[in-house]
Amino acid sequence: MRTVVWTIATLALLGLLAGGAVVSFGLYNIAARAGHWPITAWVLHTTYRRAVDLRAPAPGTAPPLTEEMARLGVRHFDGACRMCHAAPGQARTWTIRSMEPEPPPIAEAVGDWSPEELHWIIYNGVKMSGMPHWPSVREDDVWAVVAFLTRVQEMDAETYADWAADPPVPPGAPTGLAYCAGCHGLDGRSGNARIPRLDLQSEAYLAQALQSFREGRRESGIMAQAASAVPAESLPALAAWFASVPPAPEAAQVDEDLAARGEELAWAATQDPEVPACSGCHGPEESEVRRGPGPALAGQHESYLAEQLRLWRDGLRGGGPAAELMAKAAQHLDETDIAALAAYYAGLEPEAERR
Amino acid sequence: MSGCEGPQSVFRTGGSDAAQLEHLFLVMLAGAVVLWLGINGLFYYASRVSARPVSRARVEALILGGGVGLPVVVLTALLVYGLSIMPDQRAPGDGLRLRVTGEQFWWRVEYWPEGAEAPVVSANEVRLPVGRRTEIELAATDVIHSFWLPALGGKTDLIPGRVNRMSLEPTEVGTWRGQCAEFCGLSHALMAFQAITLEEAEFGAWLAREAQGLAPEARTAEGYAIFTAQGCGGCHALRGTEARGTVGPDLTHVGGRATLAAGILPMTADALTDWIRDPAAFKPGVEMPGYDHMDPDELATLALWLEGLR
Repeated sequence: MRTVVWTIATLALLGLLAGGAVVSFGLYNIAARAGHWPITAWVLHTTYRRAVDLRAPAPGTAPPLTEEMARLGVRHFDGACRMCHAAPGQARTWTIRSMEPEPPPIAEAVGDWSPEELHWIIYNGVKMSGMPHWPSVREDDVWAVVAFLTRVQEMDAETYADWAADPPVPPGAPTGLAYCAGCHGLDGRSGNARIPRLDLQSEAYLAQALQSFREGRRESGIMAQAASAVPAESLPALAAWFASVPPAPEAAQVDEDLAARGEELAWAATQDPEVPACSGCHGPEESEVRRGPGPALAGQHESYLAEQLRLWRDGLRGGGPAAELMAKAAQHLDETDIAALAAYYAGLEPEAERR
Repeated sequence: MSGCEGPQSVFRTGGSDAAQLEHLFLVMLAGAVVLWLGINGLFYYASRVSARPVSRARVEALILGGGVGLPVVVLTALLVYGLSIMPDQRAPGDGLRLRVTGEQFWWRVEYWPEGAEAPVVSANEVRLPVGRRTEIELAATDVIHSFWLPALGGKTDLIPGRVNRMSLEPTEVGTWRGQCAEFCGLSHALMAFQAITLEEAEFGAWLAREAQGLAPEARTAEGYAIFTAQGCGGCHALRGTEARGTVGPDLTHVGGRATLAAGILPMTADALTDWIRDPAAFKPGVEMPGYDHMDPDELATLALWLEGLR
């Protein structure tokens, strides 16, 4: 017995010394050029596949992956992912192909992963592979990218180029405008319900929102990428650009009963002791007395409003210096309140004067 | 004894209900003293004065008489007396009705004069007419609280989902202090209120003033513009204006109240400034967000204006 214990202890010590020597004398060759042994590559890849299988949410839990989401997702992919995984019909650069492991072309990377598994991989990233995690704690906006990925294997180069294209911008436009306008439209009025209208907001509000995204005070993986891809000096000019477009008098068709309930809530007609009157900060104005300090909501996309209210309620929506006001205001909202309020404000015609 | 005086004491009463409770306490105390002296006297007598064996018959008589008979008589008498005053404590009011709703951590107060269709809304202070019995309905929004004005009466819980009732009959003009008497969260100890008892005519005049909306001159002041621009109206009402929030206290006549933040701060412009800037510093867990992002001059103007809303 004694001999066995001594043998094991001696072997363990030798093992520790060997391991320590490999690390401290630099014996392991970390060169990407050296590549992996086939067995190492197999172990790493199998570990990756099994880890995702184990941790990804159950199949069938993904929300409906609409084309609107995919059109937002493709823009994020184009800015953040294409450099490694290449767009449909395009080749990866030789530099990217010299990575170890090599990032697969996007159709191959999607492979036969389910939407839920793709969501897990994009949100969490993959250690020691060069695949970053989602640049925000928010999980919901990852689905836009997943919506694109579920279509990418059938997508041809022309469709991709069409969906991902930056619109032409006038001469003298601020740096980054083409990139911003690709999602939000040159006039700030994206026709896409997943992408908020910017034509409603004041310059001060837009500048503050961009700064919040850039500094990580407001959560969104897509806007974190966008606000850090554009030069910081350009953000005020971009805010000014979108604020210079007069708000278009467009309001959405909404469920009237729902909107009526939302109106009661927004004006405190329900006497609810836990839900503040939204109109106190967000209008619309009843008189010449300015109501503040919140952004304009009238005419904003319904699904965007609902999504933002959920983020506020769940404590995932930071923002400017007055963010605590809205965080407290939204903490008691339930799903019915959120649907009603989103319908009410989406159904209002935008106010002519910006707040 | 200083602990028995002041505006929040069961020994310095200003109402018939509290006087009755005080009387009940004194009767109980007197009875307890007599019993204590009797029992200890007998004990002393049996062990020191006349320590000798006692016959079995005498022991049995003592046990039955002193251990069963005497307590039955004494406790029955006290029970009958105690029960006899309960109806008085729960007597129906004779006109004005108050509805007090407990919130974390303040009091929503509604005055319903007889025949009124809508209440006069106030907060964190109850005013009662002397010589009248006022009906008080007690409700709660979030958790259980308890309404206790030691100088005026007993305490009653405020329970979410039901309406409890009590009534109070003040007999003396004065300012009293009440306190939440059921642990209700982080700032339970900071959930107090003032009770002001007034002669009936004076009370009527006060209620008529309180029922009025925001004064027209207050509405044209700079403070009103700041109040509106900061979105205060989302949570607070100023009756007769666009500010109709129902989450926080009605501020139409906030400056007329003796205290701020449910009895914990004086109603001064300085205290209002500090409170608005960072309410959680005074009341942990408070629902109101801090306004430390406000321009200090604007904040001072707003506080001064609020203090002037009498």
